[in-house]
Amino acid sequence: MSTLSTMWTCHWAGRRIQRYLDADPAAPLTAQEAHRLHRHLATCAKCASAAEDFRGLRRALATWSQHRTPDPQLAARVRDTARQLIAEDAG
Amino acid sequence: MTGGRRPGHGEDVGSHRTPEGRRHDVGKEATKPPGFPTVTPGLNDAATTNQAARTRAFAQHVEPEIDVLLRVARTLTGSWADAEDLVQDTLIRAYRGLESFDGAHPRAWLLTILRNTNINSHRRQRPDLLDADDSPERHTPAFGATSTPSPEQTVTDRELGEDLQRAVAALDPKFSTVLLLVDVDDLTYSEVADVLGIAVGTVTSRLSRARKRLRHDLNANARRSS
Ligand SMILES: [Zn+2]
Repeated sequence: MSTLSTMWTCHWAGRRIQRYLDADPAAPLTAQEAHRLHRHLATCAKCASAAEDFRGLRRALATWSQHRTPDPQLAARVRDTARQLIAEDAG
Repeated sequence: MTGGRRPGHGEDVGSHRTPEGRRHDVGKEATKPPGFPTVTPGLNDAATTNQAARTRAFAQHVEPEIDVLLRVARTLTGSWADAEDLVQDTLIRAYRGLESFDGAHPRAWLLTILRNTNINSHRRQRPDLLDADDSPERHTPAFGATSTPSPEQTVTDRELGEDLQRAVAALDPKFSTVLLLVDVDDLTYSEVADVLGIAVGTVTSRLSRARKRLRHDLNANARRSS
């Protein structure tokens, strides 16, 4: 593979790696794109390392989630206040 | 909580319409007096039935989303106290809007209401701050203070966490908000689009830039310290 063609493929891959990892229903890769990307990641160290970094980043950020989970008491208070206001609205 | 900002009965919440188009029509109901939804005066049985149906719909569609709304509101406002106010107002608006809600995608519908509620309030927005809860009482363990690492967390994990926090805090809030909503609060792209009032394409491009920037910064840090 020529250098230019490799660069182009890396650029193509770089624009899809995150969508590939996220697999969000609003921005899916086609089966063909996913297959091509998969093959590229298996042979290109540079893009594979980017994918690995993005995976690690997602894992690290996911651990923040537990610190940003609302206190059950807070959620219950919000719910109860809403119920109370609704009951007043009805009365 | 004083609850002082709660919309009172008869408050015209529809008067703060934003110029942007709404994907869900959430303010229409506010032109009606809240105590008398759709019924003709005198039809007490119908009123009771209608009321019961709205209460049921609220429990079915709205209450299960309270946790998600609180998380998102925390990310948008930067504090649990502001998140509580914002979600409280959102729930009341949602209740008033239940009649025009078709029952599909309650989370998307609620996130749009939350967004409009947030725009309409004069609350200062601090989406960039990770630890904006600065008053001591908000740092109770119940609220999830981040200062105590779990025993299984390694030194490397903690260092990565600190570097990461710094790197995220250094991002433009436009980018960090999208990043936090997707990677921490676990929203889908389209849910983020709803709550921020931006296109899905904008979500993906901001997300991508945020992560590339973080990767770059963290790798630069790693090179410096090795
Ligand atoms: Zn490559």
